[in-house]
Amino acid sequence: MLAAIFLLLACQLIGEALHRITGLALPGSVIGMVLLLGWLALVRRERPTLGAVSGWLTAHLSIMFVPAAVGLMQEGPALARYGLGLALATGVSTLLTIAVTALVFRWALRRFTPEEVGKRPVQPAERGA
Amino acid sequence: MSALTGLLATPLLWLAATLGVFEIFERLSQRSGRHPLCHPVLWTTPVLIALLWATGTSYADYQADTFLLSFLLGPAVVGLAVPIWAQRERIARLAVPIVLSLAAGAVTSIVSAVGILSLFGAPADILASIAPRATTTPVSMAIAQQLGGVPALAACIVLFAGIVGAMTATPLLNAMKFDDYRPRGFALGVSAHGFGAARAFQVSETAGAFASLGMALNAVMTAALLSLLAIFL
Repeated sequence: MLAAIFLLLACQLIGEALHRITGLALPGSVIGMVLLLGWLALVRRERPTLGAVSGWLTAHLSIMFVPAAVGLMQEGPALARYGLGLALATGVSTLLTIAVTALVFRWALRRFTPEEVGKRPVQPAERGA
Repeated sequence: MSALTGLLATPLLWLAATLGVFEIFERLSQRSGRHPLCHPVLWTTPVLIALLWATGTSYADYQADTFLLSFLLGPAVVGLAVPIWAQRERIARLAVPIVLSLAAGAVTSIVSAVGILSLFGAPADILASIAPRATTTPVSMAIAQQLGGVPALAACIVLFAGIVGAMTATPLLNAMKFDDYRPRGFALGVSAHGFGAARAFQVSETAGAFASLGMALNAVMTAALLSLLAIFL
């Protein structure tokens, strides 16, 4: 358990350090996620506790961003002024992105991997938030 | 009463209030069958804002008291590597469609959101808050902060995008005649992160798995694209 928590924190720590040293705009936690992927590829073994810890964190992601969302109480003026624009831009962008992603996926599937067309492999799925 | 005032210097009150209020709405959300409009954050946030107002508590105090919760976001984002790793074989087999549609989706999301909002004359910090709107909340807040945006606004935008995506994806993709759950799920995850993934799981396991993948990959793709953009601007 502690080893899994250590691994997550160490990846984030190195990610934050890289972020600060290189001035990269990529958030330290995202760099840490890439580092963890690299570590998993490098050191191959079963990691049930890491799966349990990261699964627990993912399952409770929602409550972790409540403190930030409450910060909205300071954003009244911006919301009053740009609320309509924000809602419209977010809504249109969401629908457009779904359509474009699905269309390009289908086109590329037929064009580059015809052997995969019509296959719908089912695997135990991982949930995220 | 004065014996209790010292308690207010500890994070106990607001941490407990946040967990308690969230748990109430979490149960209601479960009872609603996880309807997107019943998302617990959507209801916990205004209730807590009202409580803070009613008690005259500043946001800075609340933020300090709930630091424990926001801190966990970092390790949680790092942990998203685990489900991606678990799906490496599937990613390798469909690498070309995944990479191409991911790139197209990420660019579409950023350009359309920022483009439309700029028509309303929004300043740079508001534009920076909407740019990462397709990524999962912790990542969007981190990116918004990086770009000089407002993390709270980014979190709110992401919630709204998730609700819109979860509620409209099925009719939209049916109208476009998609019968393959892989592009359907993937598109939902790329555009509507965890909300999209949760919705996709209700439809099919395959769609759900691809939606989780889309969410995780787009967190990295959007972060990378916007970082590059930030360097050149």
